[in-house]
Amino acid sequence: MSVYDSILKRIREIQGKTEEEEPLTNISASSMLTAEITLISSLLIALIMVRLISKTLMIVLVIAVFFIALMISPIMPKLMREQNDSFSNMIFYIVLALGIIVALFYWGNLNV
Amino acid sequence: MMDSLMPLMVIIPIASALFLNLLHDKDRTIKILAIVTALVLPIIPLLTGYGSHYFGGYAPLSQNSVIAQGLPAIITSTQLFVFHPGIVYVFGSAQKVMIFVLGIVAFFAIFTALNETKKPSGVYTYLMFMGTAAATAILLSDDIFNFYVFFEIAALAQIGIVIASNVKNNYETALKYIILGNIAGPLLLLGIALLLGVTGNVNITDIIYSIKNGYVNPQNPVLLMALALITFGWLYGSGLPPFHTIKSALYSKALPHGAALIQAITVFIMVALGVMILRIFSYLSFSKMAIIAVSLLALVLSITMAIVQTDFKRTLGYLAVGELGYIGIGLGLGTTLGITAGLFQAINEAIITAFLFIGFGTVLYKTRISDTRKLGGMMFENPRVALLVLLAGLAMAGVPPLNAFQSKLMLIQASVQAGVPELGIIMILLSIVTFMTFMRAFYIIYMRPKPAELEIHDYKIPKATIISLVAFLIICLTLGLFPQIATSNLQTLASSLV
Repeated sequence: MSVYDSILKRIREIQGKTEEEEPLTNISASSMLTAEITLISSLLIALIMVRLISKTLMIVLVIAVFFIALMISPIMPKLMREQNDSFSNMIFYIVLALGIIVALFYWGNLNV
Repeated sequence: MMDSLMPLMVIIPIASALFLNLLHDKDRTIKILAIVTALVLPIIPLLTGYGSHYFGGYAPLSQNSVIAQGLPAIITSTQLFVFHPGIVYVFGSAQKVMIFVLGIVAFFAIFTALNETKKPSGVYTYLMFMGTAAATAILLSDDIFNFYVFFEIAALAQIGIVIASNVKNNYETALKYIILGNIAGPLLLLGIALLLGVTGNVNITDIIYSIKNGYVNPQNPVLLMALALITFGWLYGSGLPPFHTIKSALYSKALPHGAALIQAITVFIMVALGVMILRIFSYLSFSKMAIIAVSLLALVLSITMAIVQTDFKRTLGYLAVGELGYIGIGLGLGTTLGITAGLFQAINEAIITAFLFIGFGTVLYKTRISDTRKLGGMMFENPRVALLVLLAGLAMAGVPPLNAFQSKLMLIQASVQAGVPELGIIMILLSIVTFMTFMRAFYIIYMRPKPAELEIHDYKIPKATIISLVAFLIICLTLGLFPQIATSNLQTLASSLV
């Protein structure tokens, strides 16, 4: 199954779950596809910045993320589901972010 | 002499907010008074001279020759001699430009609100003035605790503007935002308390003095924790991830003029807090890396989320949050060019997003619908407004000769100069996607055939709305053609942070 087909399938699944009666339009499919490509390409370009720390690590990460992205795509429908307006989701990510920030700032400033 | 005007930038909007609230039912009086006061907001910063204002007259001893005379050496030879004993407001050229732009956005938001609503509410105008006053105080304050107080007032004013909107589910969104604020706000305050505990000061200049002159160990773990907590508060105030979902929801649940003002308040809170973090903690290179990482995340997550929305207000909300990422990248680069570009982008974004919110607001005014699946054919209703909205979208995407082109170009140049061209490439890529997102919304709302079931009301778009849109366009063009009007004023602050 091509990436495009799997994106369409996933959008249909989401629409089914949210009981939306709207048909899957060209606009919604192309939007999702654009978002998917933007997300993966931005991530890959951003990873090139790891070269400032270690060139080998950068090459390994770019290749690894590229293949992981291919395997788990489409990512966007999953990301959309996580970034919904559910209060529990918001609280979860906020607490997670606080933990990451505190740990990284403490560790990062002493070690980077 | 002119410095006495400085506190008026905060006092006038607060005083008029309180007064207008009392005139709840007197519609005509509210309208006239609010417009006159709002007009004063962008004028005061232009008349005020640069310098510092010491509340209560508590200047540092070094600047007070009367008291300083005859003091023992134990005071005059120590840091006590230069410390600021009271609340201090600092007004420089960067503050002038930012408060001027905030005043302009506030004026047009209030002007549009008073003309679009049939019954002007003193309470709604109160909230708009209060939010503007809080953001102005945040831009001026050199006192971190005073800063926090106005940070909370700004959050409450934003929630109030959303609650007053009468948009479906607005209460739920406002409640979520306030609960999340109850997590982030106290943590920001805890960060400030830790800074106070370590340095013994709440004045930002004094805190920097203590760190730079060896009175405090810069690698003190408590300072690092303070930085982490203040950064977390910054994420909440700015609506950067993980707060981007709630912030975009907040924009979408406000009325268009309210959203225009809320986003301007948010942009300037983000800048003020970001500048404060850079001023105090720029010696920690990790702080800049963190700012860039979060900004990049905001850019990618918000813009990709904007594309897939079916509610145009939510699309705009996500785009507004995404644009904050550009500002953050500029600040995080930490070079003079980068910070100048970031501050310039902040000014441009405040204007362009207000332009877009009020422009697309005309669709809501005529149809009461924001679901793009139910809209279409609006071009025939008012082609002139459609053209203005199109130009606003082009400005946001960074199309020359409009203003964001200049700031985004500067940001890309700054990232190349700083040795991270990858950031420049990502910014170009996301500008293209922003353009695509906007054009998608524009096509659906304005250009495709009108759905048969769409009912367009016969209301005429108020002249005030059109005047506001044209004014925003003129500002976008002026800053696009003559960017030095803003950048020359912002550069001083940028160089002081490097």
